[in-house]
Amino acid sequence: MKTLYKIAAAVLAFMSVTSCDEFTPVFTGKYPEPGEYEKVEMTPTHTIAELVAMYKLGKPQVIKDDIVIAGKVSTSDRTGNFYRSFYIQDETGGIEIKIGKTGLYNDYKPGQTVYVKCEGLTLGMYGYKSGNYGGSGMVQLGYEDPTGDYETSYLDVAPIIDRHIFRGEFGEPVVPQVVTESQLPGKDDTQATNRYVGSLVTLKGLRYAEEVFALLYLDSNKDTKLSSNRVFLSRDDKDEDTWTWGITTWAMSKNKYLEYLSSGVWDKAKVGNGNDYNYGTVETNKEQMMKNASAYSVSQYFTMGNKEIQIRTSGYSRFADTEIDPEVLNGNKTIDVTGVITLYQGSIQFTLIDIADVKVN
Amino acid sequence: MYKRIFFAFAALLLSVSMWAQTGGVTGTVVNRSGRVPVTGAEVTLSFGGETVVTGQSGNDGKFLFEGIEDGIYQMTVKAAGFVPANVNVTVENGFVKDLMFVSLVAARNVVEADDSSFAEFDMDDSGYSDAPSILFSNDVYTDIVGFGFSAIRFKNRGYNNETQDVYLSGVKMNDAITGYSPYSLWSGLNEATRSKETTVGNEVSEYGAGGYNGVTNILATASSVRPGWRFSVLSNSAMYRLRLMATYASGELDNGWSYAFNVSARVGGNDWVKGVYYRNFAYYAGAEKKFGDEHRLSFMAFAAPGQRGAQNASTQEVYDLMGDNMYNSNWGYQGGKMRNARVRKTHEPVFVVKYTATPLENLEASATVLYRTGKNGYTALDWYDAPDPRPDYYRNLPSYFYNPNPDYGRDNELKAEWAKEAWLTNMNSTCHLNWDRLYNVNYNNPVEQADGTFLNRSKYAVEERRVDQNDVNVAANVKWTASNLFTLTGGANFKWNRTEYYKKLDDLLGGDYYLNIDQFAERDFASSPTMIQNDLDYYLEHGTAEQIGRGGKYGYDYYAHVRNAGVWANGTFTHGGLAANLALEAGYTGFWREGLLRKGLFAGLDDNGQEIFYDGKKLTSYDADGKVISSKGDSEKAQFLTWSAKLGASYVFQGGHRLYANAGYYTDAPTFSQSFISPRTRNTLIPNLETSKTVSADINYSYSNNGYDLRVTGFWTKIMNQTDLMSFYDDSQNSFTNFAMTGIDQRHMGIELGFRIPFFLQGLSLQGALSLGEYIYTSTPRMTQTIDNSAAVVFNNQPVTYWKEHPIYKKYMIDGVETYEVDLDGNYVVEKNQKHYVPSTPQIASSLAFNYRTNSYWFFTLEGQCFANSYLDMNPLYRTDMAVAGPDGIATPIEIEYMAAQEKFDPVFLLNASVGKSWYIQRKYNFGFSLNVNNILNSRNVRTGGYEQTRLIDSNSGERYYRFDPRYFYMSGVNYMLNLYFRF
Repeated sequence: MKTLYKIAAAVLAFMSVTSCDEFTPVFTGKYPEPGEYEKVEMTPTHTIAELVAMYKLGKPQVIKDDIVIAGKVSTSDRTGNFYRSFYIQDETGGIEIKIGKTGLYNDYKPGQTVYVKCEGLTLGMYGYKSGNYGGSGMVQLGYEDPTGDYETSYLDVAPIIDRHIFRGEFGEPVVPQVVTESQLPGKDDTQATNRYVGSLVTLKGLRYAEEVFALLYLDSNKDTKLSSNRVFLSRDDKDEDTWTWGITTWAMSKNKYLEYLSSGVWDKAKVGNGNDYNYGTVETNKEQMMKNASAYSVSQYFTMGNKEIQIRTSGYSRFADTEIDPEVLNGNKTIDVTGVITLYQGSIQFTLIDIADVKVN
Repeated sequence: MYKRIFFAFAALLLSVSMWAQTGGVTGTVVNRSGRVPVTGAEVTLSFGGETVVTGQSGNDGKFLFEGIEDGIYQMTVKAAGFVPANVNVTVENGFVKDLMFVSLVAARNVVEADDSSFAEFDMDDSGYSDAPSILFSNDVYTDIVGFGFSAIRFKNRGYNNETQDVYLSGVKMNDAITGYSPYSLWSGLNEATRSKETTVGNEVSEYGAGGYNGVTNILATASSVRPGWRFSVLSNSAMYRLRLMATYASGELDNGWSYAFNVSARVGGNDWVKGVYYRNFAYYAGAEKKFGDEHRLSFMAFAAPGQRGAQNASTQEVYDLMGDNMYNSNWGYQGGKMRNARVRKTHEPVFVVKYTATPLENLEASATVLYRTGKNGYTALDWYDAPDPRPDYYRNLPSYFYNPNPDYGRDNELKAEWAKEAWLTNMNSTCHLNWDRLYNVNYNNPVEQADGTFLNRSKYAVEERRVDQNDVNVAANVKWTASNLFTLTGGANFKWNRTEYYKKLDDLLGGDYYLNIDQFAERDFASSPTMIQNDLDYYLEHGTAEQIGRGGKYGYDYYAHVRNAGVWANGTFTHGGLAANLALEAGYTGFWREGLLRKGLFAGLDDNGQEIFYDGKKLTSYDADGKVISSKGDSEKAQFLTWSAKLGASYVFQGGHRLYANAGYYTDAPTFSQSFISPRTRNTLIPNLETSKTVSADINYSYSNNGYDLRVTGFWTKIMNQTDLMSFYDDSQNSFTNFAMTGIDQRHMGIELGFRIPFFLQGLSLQGALSLGEYIYTSTPRMTQTIDNSAAVVFNNQPVTYWKEHPIYKKYMIDGVETYEVDLDGNYVVEKNQKHYVPSTPQIASSLAFNYRTNSYWFFTLEGQCFANSYLDMNPLYRTDMAVAGPDGIATPIEIEYMAAQEKFDPVFLLNASVGKSWYIQRKYNFGFSLNVNNILNSRNVRTGGYEQTRLIDSNSGERYYRFDPRYFYMSGVNYMLNLYFRF
């Protein structure tokens, strides 16, 4: 019987040892629903316009001062026409924050206040070109680009984002300002001189200009700067076929691209660049282009009074393949659009956030 | 007349007839299969631990001990190829006790082994299960290897899990869809399933002709469970914390009934992998009735319901950042509690009725009906148009931002430092799933409904991938002992299986609904409202995709229908020590897919056979041969006729020597899971499906005498024409693709050695095992790659050029720079071809152990193990011309040697020890414990497996591709298993 007691004691001791660290490590019952995350509140030291004004052309700068800006999120990457970034806007203007993550609209809601602690971030420009045919681009807030290819790079890394970008209260979405022809930026305007550049605006009465622009590659996996790899679809006033190149959509997904390509509407477009057109035509390179098909951005040209506005849409946006109303294409109807005015080499590039922001009159 | 009683340990005939002689013991040693005399069996009679007399059975299997005093003796019968039998013999009043027949069983598991000796890993739905390396245990080699090598994930002879035929009560249990042996159905029921009969390699069993990797039959009937009560408590640190088990078996009662039950609970996490846990239960109940001497009817029901949190493989970069090779990326804290996103949830009960008849003394027949049903789920995170929530997603790692090779174009060292910092400090839950964020995204995604109210659409959810089987089996077996010379066994079997595959919404994570659309289709067809529908019929009826609530089915839903039928026969000729057998088997396998949903991508024809139009656009699509591509309804039926033949011979010499050899030829049908290009989306079968063919042979020598045991085996197997199928994102296509590979051949050959040597000191022995093999790929398979969204063919029947080997080129050094040698024609000079190996098992495995057992029931073991030549599983994409040559289409020696190479793991040395004792109290109660400590040297760098990712990194030069880092599994460091048991 003694042995039996000993054994019973051993079993009890064993049970108590194993139960110390027993079931706590993993909980398999019902998990409590997490609370809402805490919304940050900060006091901005600068307006967005003041920050933008700090940028000096051609000189990306790492911000050394303890600058805080605040603004409401004015764009969304839900449709993919904005990608890996969003704009914030205060009363003085808007600026693009190059976050570098996808699906940003899940965490940064349109209308939500976002605070940016700018110290350590880089202020730079995208889309500047010097010379007579050039002009200003857009000032962006991003991170240093050690390669020097661009003036800024994306923030990309969670700890950089978490240390500089803070999410505040939700709010009503930014109300777009209606901008008239005379308020549009002129050739020498910049984001600092025209407050509508970088802001959410509505433009009314746009008429189709029967012009498109798209840059295609024979193989986008290869060097895209080689003229032997490039096809420009742009308007030659003398040849009506080149005015729109048969493109009736806002942009083109890979499938739409294949459709256009195989229909033959681009067959006579030359492969090449500048004065270097020694590589045949789309027709003679079609097999390779079919094989390396991908989505492409398209600029559709409109006029607002006497001012030209290109509406540039990404081939990866969800509405890329949406057909433009034929009544708009044939000039019978005009459109009102809401989006962000941006500058690219001095030209107005209008960026839609969603196709619902295009109203046919 | 005699009675036959089977127990888990031994089977013997009890019938006492008395001869008027002086005291003694006599009997005939027979093989339970066919009651064939066993020659040269070693019979030992002992009293109180002291050997009294030892002898051997003669040619007719008879043995006789005379001049034995009255008393209760312990008799041990051992023979090569059989499980030792222990019998208590009482010699009374100077009579010679005639035991008539002492039958030896071909197999039983005598090792106290448990599934806790091997960890379960998440092998990305490969169905990889917690299976032992070998499940049989009737010789010295398999005693050591069976469970001792499972921690390193040793595969005996390099064969895949599905080559092991596992039967339960005579019904083949291998999964109808994948072929895997389904140990998880009865895991935790160790006592109820302890009694097994097994064969090795090409040997034939009594339940089926079997393949080339042995047959295991688990008896599982009530009468086969060891009688009495048994309770055990087990704790271990490498798998789960605690197992409680209770078992009772009545044995055969006077009224002919037997009852048994076995229940267990396995709960808790372990010391090594966080987030992994068990909450598993198991139950078994069996009843059996014997009617007269001729009929026996058994009923059984069992299941192992529960949940298990799974582990995930990560790249070495992640392990190094965490400083822990056991890091698991599947979990995160929610409300301060650990929550694992990948949980297996199963409850698959099995019901069995078995009838056995012995109408004649030399004829035994049985029939079994087995039904398996229930649910089998595996949860995972699902998300729609939102960032990848997995912590070890490649864009969250330092290597995504910086690589010293400028050709990667990853040149931001500063960002890499930040990413590293985030991992080292676990900044904002960098290292784990951030459940709080997922909930917050869902909380704040209001979408206006038709009635003007707002509901939150979940962007993140937990899905449960269900594979629910309904499986009906009928099997009948006959054994006819025609004479002492000839025994015929045979049988027929039929399987009906209908398995439903679908996704169930397990948790909306704070949102109100999940939308049933295909976000991968949306990437290519964003502007088409029909193409993105998972359920097109619902969309056409309601004009919107379905909003899925908790518990709703979504994504995909289809049946796999499988029918198997087979007949087999085996004739065994025995004469003296010579036995020879010939077995033949013929089978039919048919299967098809039945889509229950119409998917937008592959609308097919409507229910009336007409093309489908929407908004003036034709939705019906056709393949290159003009056939409709459909997702709903029945697919074509794939049908295969298979056959196999086996030949075996053995000779038992006097003195415990046995020489035997087996050879076989097998054809095997591909499984359902290998046959459909994209079963989640469409009915398309892989073109030109064929059966695989296998030739296998082995030759063996075994010796068992005076405590010495030895087996040496040489084996050679060639498996031809196998098929494999995978789906993955191909960066060169920027698309999710399906990759079907056919014509895979492999060759397995090697030597097995097992031995046990008794030492001068009573109870001390040395035992060892060695498996020395070479398992290689021997063919250049063909592959067909299609785009998942469109069924468009990317590559049609192209060779996977670098699958079986790749060239290593001659190099020389110029000024310290390595340069490839070129011949006169300008071609690179090949130095040798590097073979590629069958992965995920050490091809060299060995063990050497000292065992010491005392008369007072203590035992001690100290074991050293060595493993080498283990290789990483290869991804075929990296062995194609496309991936090796890169975008420029030119395959240089550098590219070939980089992209096609197969990783070889470092060799491993492990030290294990165990100790145990049992006590008998009042001759009635038995209490004992065993403690195993494995990996005493605490080696924490032992890779047990893993896989290559399928993705490619573009180069700046545009000339080549780079690989993603592979993902690995590691073995636990030092761990223990303590088992206490009590029985009466």
